[in-house]
Amino acid sequence: MTVVLFFIFGALTIGGALGVVLARNPVHSALFLVLTLVSVAVLFLLQDAQLVAAVQIIVYAGAIVVLFLFVIMLLGVDQTEPFAEPLRFQRPVALALGAILLAEVLLLAGHRWATGAKTARGVGITGGAFGSNIQRVARVLFTTFLWPFEITAVLLVIAVIGAVVLARRSAQTPDSESESAPRSGS
Amino acid sequence: MNPHVDFHAFAPEIVLTVTIVAVLIADLFTDDSKLPARIAALGVLGSLVPVLTLAVDGQTRSLFGGAFVVDPFSLVLTGFFLVAGYVTLLLSFDYIGEGDYYQGEFYVLLLTSLLGMIVISSARDLISIFVALETITIPTFVLAGWRKHDTKSNEASLKYFLIGVLSSAVMLYGMSLVFGLANSTVLVDIHKYASGHTPALFAVAVFLTLVGFAFKVSAVPFHFWAPDTYEGAPTPVTAFLSVASKAGGFVALLTIVRLGFFPSGNSWQPILWVLAAASMTLGNLAALRQTNIVRMLAYSSIAQGGFILVPLAVAGDVRGNAAWQAVVIYILIYGAMNLGAFAAVIAAARRTRSAEISRLAGFGRTNPAIAVMFSVFLFSLAGIPPLAGWFAKFVMFRAVFDANTTVAVVLGVIAAVNSVIAFFYYSGVVRRLWFDEPAAGVELSSPRLPVGLSAAMGLMTAVILVVGVYPQFFARLGEIAFQRG
Repeated sequence: MTVVLFFIFGALTIGGALGVVLARNPVHSALFLVLTLVSVAVLFLLQDAQLVAAVQIIVYAGAIVVLFLFVIMLLGVDQTEPFAEPLRFQRPVALALGAILLAEVLLLAGHRWATGAKTARGVGITGGAFGSNIQRVARVLFTTFLWPFEITAVLLVIAVIGAVVLARRSAQTPDSESESAPRSGS
Repeated sequence: MNPHVDFHAFAPEIVLTVTIVAVLIADLFTDDSKLPARIAALGVLGSLVPVLTLAVDGQTRSLFGGAFVVDPFSLVLTGFFLVAGYVTLLLSFDYIGEGDYYQGEFYVLLLTSLLGMIVISSARDLISIFVALETITIPTFVLAGWRKHDTKSNEASLKYFLIGVLSSAVMLYGMSLVFGLANSTVLVDIHKYASGHTPALFAVAVFLTLVGFAFKVSAVPFHFWAPDTYEGAPTPVTAFLSVASKAGGFVALLTIVRLGFFPSGNSWQPILWVLAAASMTLGNLAALRQTNIVRMLAYSSIAQGGFILVPLAVAGDVRGNAAWQAVVIYILIYGAMNLGAFAAVIAAARRTRSAEISRLAGFGRTNPAIAVMFSVFLFSLAGIPPLAGWFAKFVMFRAVFDANTTVAVVLGVIAAVNSVIAFFYYSGVVRRLWFDEPAAGVELSSPRLPVGLSAAMGLMTAVILVVGVYPQFFARLGEIAFQRG
């Protein structure tokens, strides 16, 4: 079952990736990217990495692709980009780098990391008292790392306020009252 | 199972967070532009109360497996940050009130940055330190660009933002490597790990982490954003950036080196040595050539940052806590001097409408009170007795000679030469204030100084004089900070 699913979604991942590169319309490219990202999320699920799968869909498929689409829409879809390459050596270098990356992944699989930890081959975090790894992450987040978590909440509020302040047009006129009345210290 | 939460330990942070929310809501429902400012000032003073009760209690409180610790060190620095934040508020009231600015949001952002600082003084693990550093810097990105219609302010904000994000990324990469090696984010565990045999990768991790901090404290060669950002940002924000936010970076650096990386001296000492020597030398040489007072103070604060790094760089060879104490004492004194100097710049700019040094000519005759205090701040920065600056330099040199190794002494000599160079440009401004003819076009009679600004300058002058004459006051604070509670 898992093997069948792996091959189906592996094929979809590669198909989506090819679609991103080959599609003429940038909007189609972005949609193919969604296909790839969702398929990768399923691959994560097959590895018992439920949290990474969820984050993959929420962050990449949800937020980042929407951002891409915004940019594409803002720039205008009808503009046809010339496909002539400004850098001629680009293609062979890309192929070589891709080959090196593949070799690196194959080499590192099953090796020891520099940090001493062994790479896991599809070994999910199972067993223990608290079930799946989402529960584990939640547990750590709300006990050990509760404090940074709360501070991050303040940080996110500030990000919204800062964005509003920067984006809002100032309609106010300068206050004229402040010149005459000196303020008290508190 | 619930985590154990000691609400007394969190009380300063809680009071400040409540204040932030109160300012935000008050700004929404009132047209009274002074109300948010008043709530903000009251809230900052209010958060000093739990700091005092915690200090009286005197107990070391450790929460979340040692990630959050309330000890004398964190209390001394929390107190410092709150006072510095209050003085910044005093500087801001009229500056922000008179421009076309959103007031409520300004105070919200300022207070959030302050919240990050008091969090960082108790943070004892990599994640808390990182989140706190981001809480310090992200609001200041927006604050630096507060004058939205001024292209210089836009440039200041954008440069600061790009460099800030880059440095965070570098630091986070370093921290992730540290975590991967030490298998823990808590500094105490990293200390244990660093005591043993460490692979070369650990040095890389330490290097990247320290480079991230070097950006935050604008140490040479990672300083180039500072003068432009300082010049473009509203001056009260510059004061805040150069004192509080820089001190936040130094406190984090001190904590992480002292409690985390310390045993692995070879990995961090050379980096800090180079940063200290380069910051002092380049900062001072560049400051000599400036014609704009804010840019001059920007380079001077880079150089002062170098002086603060000196005791850190030699800390490995100093027995006891002398080096750490020197850093804390220098930060406290530097805060008072630099806040004062920027207050004087704001006061002077209200008269001259310019930040050019040449426009300050003859200021001593037209506005003697401001000029006297301005000279006090500048001479203190230069380190002339009996002003507080001499004691800061004294504890720095004492740490160097306590270390008594060749590299430490070389660094001490570099610091001594730089103190002399620094004297030239500080005294150059003072000479212009008192001995040059007033420039044409300077308003001689202008509206009275705002109360907040005068109060801030008066307070800082008093601190500098008292500490200069009676340095035991800050020396004692430095000792207390490293006592076992």
